[in-house]
Amino acid sequence: MFIETKGLKKSYGEGGSYTEVLKGIDLGVAKGEMCVIQGTSGSGKSTLLNCIGGLDTIDSGSIAVDGLKIEALKGEKLSDYRRDNLGFIFQFYNLVPNLTVRENIQVCEYLSKKPLKIDELLTVLGLSEHQNKFPSQLSGGQQQRCAIARALIKNPKVLLCDEPTGALDSKTSREILILLEQVNKQYGTTMLIVTHNNSIKNMVDHVIYIKDGEIHKDYRNEVKVPAKDLEDL
Amino acid sequence: MGGILFKRTLRDLKAGAARYIALSLLIIFSLYLVISLMGAAYTIIDNSERSDKELVTEDGEFTVFVPLTDEEINELTQKGITVEEMFSTDYRLNSDQVLRAFKVRTHIDQIGLVRGELPKTDSEAVLERRFAEENGYEVGDTIELAGQTLTICGIGATADYNNVVRNLSDSVVSSKAFGTIFVMPDTYDQMLSSGNAIASEEYNYAYLLNGAMTDNELRTILEENEFDLRDVRDEYFLDYWEEMTGRKDELLEGIDELSDGANELADGAEELDDGVNEFSDGITELRDNMPDLVDGTSELDDGAGELEDGIRAYTSGVNEAATGASTLSEGASQIAQGASTLNSGAQEYTAGLSQFSNSVTAMTQSQDPYMAGVAASLKDPVDSLNSGFAQISGGISELSNGSAELQNGAAALSDGLGTLSDNSSALVSGANALHDGTSELADAAIELSDGVDELYDGSEELRDGTGELADGARELADGVSEFSDEANDLIDEVFNIKTRNLRMFLPVCDNPRIGAAADDVVNTLSASIIFGILLVMLFAYVISVFVVHNIDSDSAVIGALYSMGLKRRTLTLSYVAIPVLVCFVSGVIGLLVATLTPFGIAMQMQDTLSYYSMPDVKVTLSPVLYVYGLVVPPVTAFIVNVLVIRSRLKKTPLALLKNERKVSRGKDLKIKRLKFIDMFRIRQMLREGRSALTVLFGLFLCLLIAFLAIEVNVYCSRVKTDFVDYTNFEYMYTYKYPTEEVPEGGYEAVVESFKKEIYGYSFDVAVVGITEDNPFFDTGDLPDNNTDVVIGSAMAYKYDLEVGDEFTLEDSSNDRLYAFRVERIVDFAASFMIFMDIDECRELFGEDDDYFNAVFSDHALDIDSGRLYSTLSKSDIEKTAGIFVNQMSAMIIAMSVTPAVIFVVVLYLMLKMMLDRSSFNISLVKIFGFRNKEVRQMYLDGNFYIVALGSLIAIPLCKAIMDYIYPRYMVNNVGVGVDSSYSMSMYAVIFAVILILYLIISSVLVGRIKKIDPTEVLKNRE
Repeated sequence: MFIETKGLKKSYGEGGSYTEVLKGIDLGVAKGEMCVIQGTSGSGKSTLLNCIGGLDTIDSGSIAVDGLKIEALKGEKLSDYRRDNLGFIFQFYNLVPNLTVRENIQVCEYLSKKPLKIDELLTVLGLSEHQNKFPSQLSGGQQQRCAIARALIKNPKVLLCDEPTGALDSKTSREILILLEQVNKQYGTTMLIVTHNNSIKNMVDHVIYIKDGEIHKDYRNEVKVPAKDLEDL
Repeated sequence: MGGILFKRTLRDLKAGAARYIALSLLIIFSLYLVISLMGAAYTIIDNSERSDKELVTEDGEFTVFVPLTDEEINELTQKGITVEEMFSTDYRLNSDQVLRAFKVRTHIDQIGLVRGELPKTDSEAVLERRFAEENGYEVGDTIELAGQTLTICGIGATADYNNVVRNLSDSVVSSKAFGTIFVMPDTYDQMLSSGNAIASEEYNYAYLLNGAMTDNELRTILEENEFDLRDVRDEYFLDYWEEMTGRKDELLEGIDELSDGANELADGAEELDDGVNEFSDGITELRDNMPDLVDGTSELDDGAGELEDGIRAYTSGVNEAATGASTLSEGASQIAQGASTLNSGAQEYTAGLSQFSNSVTAMTQSQDPYMAGVAASLKDPVDSLNSGFAQISGGISELSNGSAELQNGAAALSDGLGTLSDNSSALVSGANALHDGTSELADAAIELSDGVDELYDGSEELRDGTGELADGARELADGVSEFSDEANDLIDEVFNIKTRNLRMFLPVCDNPRIGAAADDVVNTLSASIIFGILLVMLFAYVISVFVVHNIDSDSAVIGALYSMGLKRRTLTLSYVAIPVLVCFVSGVIGLLVATLTPFGIAMQMQDTLSYYSMPDVKVTLSPVLYVYGLVVPPVTAFIVNVLVIRSRLKKTPLALLKNERKVSRGKDLKIKRLKFIDMFRIRQMLREGRSALTVLFGLFLCLLIAFLAIEVNVYCSRVKTDFVDYTNFEYMYTYKYPTEEVPEGGYEAVVESFKKEIYGYSFDVAVVGITEDNPFFDTGDLPDNNTDVVIGSAMAYKYDLEVGDEFTLEDSSNDRLYAFRVERIVDFAASFMIFMDIDECRELFGEDDDYFNAVFSDHALDIDSGRLYSTLSKSDIEKTAGIFVNQMSAMIIAMSVTPAVIFVVVLYLMLKMMLDRSSFNISLVKIFGFRNKEVRQMYLDGNFYIVALGSLIAIPLCKAIMDYIYPRYMVNNVGVGVDSSYSMSMYAVIFAVILILYLIISSVLVGRIKKIDPTEVLKNRE
């Protein structure tokens, strides 16, 4: 498996406030797969994503991405892991407000030895005409596309998306999902998408449902629904 | 990457242009000020060093009674020393101006021309620069001096009068009243022969050691030089000498008397020692016998005890005997009574027996033979019975008599024993009293023994003491004898026609006239460097507060960038770029303004050039200035900002994404029992601790600068007022050759000059012996000894002396120290003076009873100027007193305004920043219905307490710091001492100014609170 976790446990707090968020997650995501992690609020899906992304430490178990054990990585090596392997997309975009679209993307272009071509990416993401605008001049969908472009410019092996459509309306959400689908096909990027939207699971290869810190369901779709045909977004 | 983030930095810069420009202007102004001050200091120091070389500044100078002979000069020259005459004479240019005339120098302390040229003819002269400037003289002008009409051919300065004080002990320069002038040798001689000099000619020489020897070695050589009285032409000196030699006999006689007295003292001490030895021996014997006395009294006491016990036993026996006698008497009585009864019975029995006997006798006569026979047989027994009973009766009678006697005897015995018993009580009391007496005697004997022991110890010490006294007295006598011999030799030497020629020796390092400008600016240089760095740190810290604000705002973005692998170092560099850039650019501009404009170094060094006399000064651009202007600001900004923001950027990406805030200790303070507004205000203050800290840091720095300005102002103002107010005399004449009689209307005094060092500089201190009726110094009763003295206030302030303190003065020419104790402090500020009774002063310095060398008066006295060293008038003091105020007023204003501006800008920026950070919250509370006034109370008014409390702490702290720094590092080279304390009203004014500035800024920011639109802020939330 390209992404593999075994016995992954994670807890917060001590004493009375102790909460075991992940209670031994075993999962495997194949290379190039689009995988949705679903679950109710507080189920542990974002924590799982953060652990895989090296943003949070784990209590026990292991995480391997492309064969690299990341639980042992610290400091600069963890930065390098993220730099070389990952792209992040957040619910609230987190763009640098006083950099233009193009410049926001260039920030991450710098991080890669073999970045994608920025103009091509801008075209693919429909941002060419907005490339000199600042985030405040863009709509939510455009900002998220800019965030996707920023994540993709490094040509990451894994794209970690935390509620990528959480702050968007239905139409814009569809556009973003189509885009992600397109990126997956075009660049073969492995994607882990955390969402509480029930429809998104139909467009991906692999669905993991987490409940109370445990994998409740883990299955692969035999038939995928293209993003453009998704309902109830 | 760096390029992209730098674009962001530039846009941040643009967005906050107003605040960065304001800060930049402050940095530019501060650095301009600091660099120009430093540049001025470097320029003065560098030019001083350069002119020292080019114009050959002396290594020292010395003054002699009589000019050196050619042989003496040759001898010095052969030893490698260069010597040049610097003879001078003072002339009055007009009523209140004095010029000191010199011959044009050829080698040492050459004239550094500012304008014009050196004299070529006898009618030309070079005028000292500062005197010319102050009095408006220019090249080509003419002056009348000592009967000569002199054309000013040049204006210049010499190193030996860099600090143009008339006397070495003068503390303040007054170039309006005193200067130097340089003329051709012939002109000098003509002026001297005119008789217009106001003091005798000074025979001064400048020397160069040329590495041949040290100052001390040269001094030793010069001290060996003697002069021949026959070479002296100075009539006043000759008068003085004649008077002095007349006292030789008096001195010799006095020494002989001293010697005789010492011998008598020694003899007396030896006799005393013998007497004490005898006394001590007697005490020793007494001490040896004391144990026997103690033992005897102890035994006596024991005997008395036993006697008392015996008498008590005897008394007891007597009492018992009396009791027995009484019993015996009773028994005897009973026996007598029994005997009487027995006697009565015996009589009855005798009567019966007689009848019986008669009956028997009658019976014998009976006819009845039987009866007669029986009676006959009874007759003998009856006779025997009669006879026996007669004996018994006699016995009973005797018994009766005996018992009566016994009774009488027992009664007598009882009476006797009663009397004895009564007497034995008195005997017991007597024995008891005797025993008490012997006990006390025994105790007294022991105490006596202890007393004798102590007496013995005392007598031994007395013996030792008198022994030492005798030895000391003998040594004193020997010493006095030796002294007498040496004094005789010395007197012979002193009163010899040939005597030591050296009058004063002054190496360059001890000369307050030389190198004073460079000395003065060294402190300015140090202060500028330190203040500059502190200011840059303050501004860098202010910018760092903005940067931290930006980081907090960008938290999620930074987390996102970290998430994708951006390294902290890269981001740190992008965030410190603004402060570094702002400080660098400001530094460059400040440097350019300071170095290239006429308002920079050229203007700053005017303060020095308008006080000290220097040759033409060219601005020197030291490399240090470039380092300070180009490197210090950005490096300081970099270091400060990296230190400040490091912890912010150290958070994990997740913490940044979630915008987690650490709740530091104190911020989670549990506040109860307060009104909501007060509680909120406290929380807001805690939340904005960093900004508050910056305000306090800025306040502290600004107050420090302000207090420096106030300190300078107070110092200069007090010099101006105290010098004049505390000077009650109109004239003080100091004699070179004193007369015998005190001039009419003058009050004589003895003045001796000493050195006292403080904070690296030695100043002249005058010990002034004055008469009781001297009306010019309010000293009260002067102590009648020569160690307790009354000191002037200037002395007390400069040397931090209080009543009861002890201090020493150095007589460097004789390598002696004089110790004094402060008895009282009186107001006198114009110079360092200590006062004592004139007779004590004469005694201390070995002068005659009528000696004096100074005269104070309230009007001008008719004294031959040739006899005088100097004349100090109150008008001279008035002229010099205002110099500092005039010179420093511009600087005082600059130093007062600058911190106020800095404080206003820093406070404004910080308060505005606090409001900006809270704008979202303000909008929320406005939505909740809070009024603008309440919002102001919650978010702004807490700062009032911070500023007020900070001021209350910082004001006394800054004053204390300045009180420490100012005398030690700012005016340590100035021979002035004044009270640096402020009135309470001054502190109140400073506090009020701070609060007024705060309230102005606060009122401006209230407008900003009003402008915060709740809905707009909410719209911009995401």
